[in-house]
Amino acid sequence: MAMSKKQALALFVDRSSQQWIVRDPEGKFWIVPFIEDSWEHRTPFEPTEETDLEPVPGHYTYLLGLPFWPKKEIL
Amino acid sequence: MNIEQMRLEEESKRKAPWKKWGPYLSERQWGTVREDYSESGDAWDYFTHDQARSRAYRWGEDGLAGISDDEQRLCFALALWNGRDPIIKERLFGLTNSESNHGEDVKEYYFYLDSTPTHSYMKSLYKYPQAAFPYADLVETSKRRSRDEFEYELIDTGVFDENRYFDVFVEYAKASPEDILIQISIHNRGPEPAQLHVLPTLWFQNQWAWQGGDRPVLEQVASGAGAGVIKVTDSRLGEYWLYCEGDVTLLFTENETNTHRIFGIPNRTPYVKDSINDYLVHGRKVAVNPEKKGTKAAAHYLLTVGAGQCQVVRLRLSKVEPAALTQPNGKAAAGFGRRFNNTLQARRDEADEFYAAIIPSSLDADAALVMRQALAGMLWTKQFYHYDVDKWLEERGSDPFKPTRKAAPRNDHWHHMYNGDVISMPDKWEYPWYAAWDLAFHVLALTLVDPEFGKQQLKLMLRERYMHPNGQLPAYEWNFGDVNPPVHAWSTIFTYRLEKAQKGVGDKDWLKSSFQKLLLNFTWWVNRKDRAGRNAFEGGFLGLDNIGVFDRSSPLPTGGYLEQADGTAWMALFSQNMLEIAAELAMTDPDYADMALKFVEHFLWIASAMVHMGGDEGMWDEEDGFFYDVLRLPDGQAKRLKVRSMVGLLPLCAATIFEGDLMKKYPELAERLQWFLYSRPELTAEIHEPSKRGVAGRRLASILNETRLRRVLAKMLDENEFLSPYGLRSLSRYHADHPYVISVGGQQFSVSYLPAESDTGMFGGNSNWRGPIWIPVNILIVRALLQYYTYYGNEFTVECPTGSGRQMNLYQVAGEISQRLANIFLRDKDGQRPVYGGSKKFQEDPHWRDLVLFYEYFHGDNGAGLGASHQTGWTGCVARLMHFFATTTAEQVLELGKKAVFKTTADIERGQPAVVAVGGE
Repeated sequence: MAMSKKQALALFVDRSSQQWIVRDPEGKFWIVPFIEDSWEHRTPFEPTEETDLEPVPGHYTYLLGLPFWPKKEIL
Repeated sequence: MNIEQMRLEEESKRKAPWKKWGPYLSERQWGTVREDYSESGDAWDYFTHDQARSRAYRWGEDGLAGISDDEQRLCFALALWNGRDPIIKERLFGLTNSESNHGEDVKEYYFYLDSTPTHSYMKSLYKYPQAAFPYADLVETSKRRSRDEFEYELIDTGVFDENRYFDVFVEYAKASPEDILIQISIHNRGPEPAQLHVLPTLWFQNQWAWQGGDRPVLEQVASGAGAGVIKVTDSRLGEYWLYCEGDVTLLFTENETNTHRIFGIPNRTPYVKDSINDYLVHGRKVAVNPEKKGTKAAAHYLLTVGAGQCQVVRLRLSKVEPAALTQPNGKAAAGFGRRFNNTLQARRDEADEFYAAIIPSSLDADAALVMRQALAGMLWTKQFYHYDVDKWLEERGSDPFKPTRKAAPRNDHWHHMYNGDVISMPDKWEYPWYAAWDLAFHVLALTLVDPEFGKQQLKLMLRERYMHPNGQLPAYEWNFGDVNPPVHAWSTIFTYRLEKAQKGVGDKDWLKSSFQKLLLNFTWWVNRKDRAGRNAFEGGFLGLDNIGVFDRSSPLPTGGYLEQADGTAWMALFSQNMLEIAAELAMTDPDYADMALKFVEHFLWIASAMVHMGGDEGMWDEEDGFFYDVLRLPDGQAKRLKVRSMVGLLPLCAATIFEGDLMKKYPELAERLQWFLYSRPELTAEIHEPSKRGVAGRRLASILNETRLRRVLAKMLDENEFLSPYGLRSLSRYHADHPYVISVGGQQFSVSYLPAESDTGMFGGNSNWRGPIWIPVNILIVRALLQYYTYYGNEFTVECPTGSGRQMNLYQVAGEISQRLANIFLRDKDGQRPVYGGSKKFQEDPHWRDLVLFYEYFHGDNGAGLGASHQTGWTGCVARLMHFFATTTAEQVLELGKKAVFKTTADIERGQPAVVAVGGE
């Protein structure tokens, strides 16, 4: 049976390099700069055993302008 | 109708949005469940007070003596700096659950002094020390203290010695619904002049970063009128202006997270949430925006206040644009002239006029003061509560509809919930989230001043955005799925009758729609909490935290389960309340007559189960004359857990009188009921005989027959058991010398009388039901006593206190308990308020002694306030008791009985009959 390999999108900080790190739904990790159109300027990131990624709440993905979730106007 | 009542009317008819602005700002948004995105669900340690000044909130805002609009887009609050603190005082400080020896606790002194229901006038007081605030001392000393010691309070640190502090009064007065005058009066109570930075602050809740939409703007605009002016532009609110009196510096930044401080990532902009703090405390001039615009702004006043002197800062948040404030001579103005003062004074006078119509003139000045501050606290404790659980789950990777989801630490079965409303909170610092059963009590007091708000609050909990699709009412954000006592129907019929009496006609549409939803809730209880299908209910902690031998919300160490006397009693009362509602609706709609009969029968099933179930091992203990929880063990054995507690008094509360109108209107219903009673004599054999008539032909639905009622009352009114000088204890004093002990698997569990704080960590360790006095359950008992009195009349007397030789009828007993409760707050013959225990400052200092705090619960022996210090929420219900006994005589109760109506104080003082909120169909 085919299994989904999708993972939940996740945002982290890497305090050692002072960078935002995104794990996309395919499970790939990216460094995302804290600028406009950040996703367009992402670069690959390879976590190592020493990497200590600290989870960041999902709503910060909006702050970074990531394209995965549509923004929702709350009434 | 007085002016404030006219405002309520205008608001109700949507002619003017008088409630658009109010004290809807929380006092603590940090450390809440909704801001918690941790894996472990440790909300207190995830988003801390230390982070709060630097980290933008997701779901709401907090501040000091603040206000916001009713969607909390724009907020205004006070910030202060004494020049010595390590941070500016933007929000109240307190200890987290793990930092204090008795759970979370605010460590500040602040008081709600006045509010009208439309918030046309509000006044509060904050006491700010001139010395450095002892943040570290409070944390470290509290951590060292054991659960057997008292909490370490701010006053114990010595920071108020020599009166070196400022009294900062904040008053709000609405010139119109969207033109708010703000006066901040700073009194130096110390012996020397002292400097204070006053920073009235205006900011937008950060919604643009999380959910899109236009970014709002605050910007300085020219005024030329001796005032600083901030223009507010928001796509939904439109334009406002904040006028700040005098030649004042305006500081601007953004309500954005300081990512450098919180996450270690360089900021995208230098202007972040804590920039004003850094500008002032660390002298970082570049921290604020020189272009004078942003989403957070403060006016910076530096005052030197002489010893014993007062200085005043005035502001105005208004829809009135600068051009409209131009003086007749063409000069610019900012609206701080004589008209400002006149309007402020007019709103104060109108508040006095409003309360003169609420507070009975028969109350003395001290009682009137207590009642007014109780109601002020109720009104100040409204909060805009925003929590989209589905979105919150999604943002933490726990989207319930995604296969890749992570488990959420809580609330993942409540993803239907979208809360975004102004709600009456229990306490805006310690409990800045709603609790459904607390809310039902809040409504009792709030309806003294604003019945429409009470109705709206009750309806809100039943809406599809709150109530679970399966019919469960949400408990509170720590666990919406927890189970609170079902008192919503009781509060609903109370509120309906109140309005009916005041307007001459009840809102049957509201009652009908409430009934439909309450029916779902009743069915949820029946299907989920009656394990064996025998009308004996569980429910877990049921709001009484540590009252049991075991944690009643967790699996029992013995295995098996509990049949709960309180759970079953609550359901008996719920049945009675549903019967009352159905009967009222049936008077004009025959469709409800069948439902009324259904609830008569359901009450009888539950009441009889309570006394029959288990035979010799049932909840009623004939030897003790008291009800207990029953432990049902896996091997089939049963054991009463003989703890004399409020759990055993609650069956007394399931009592309601009926006048017989329904049966007169529907004789066939009477026949069906007679047949039911005739064919099931075992149901009524051990409870009060429901067809037996009392005073004025009334009938009584009650679990307790007269014999058992007398036996329970004998214990309840015994000063060595439940009756304290300040109301009824939650646990009998008998257990001081006779702890209840049970051994399970070699481990001993015990319950003993603890009149003050809890000595366990059960339910956070921040509340205690093993001795202290809790106002809400006392109110339910007072209500029940009045029901019994209306039925039994003057002939039924008991010794009160037990053993005293004084005989009282049950109206007198109810009055006695109520007076003892009120005495917690009133000055005694020595001029002391028991609520303040041995605190000399609060008892004697003229700047403290008339400031009344409405604590969460009270010492079982001396009445001292305990737990949350601002739980005006249900403790504020003392105002309803004071009002009732000041306006209603025993004769009136007997005469009017079921025709119970609720007149205003003004009606009563005009000579119209005073009446009582009891029973009826």
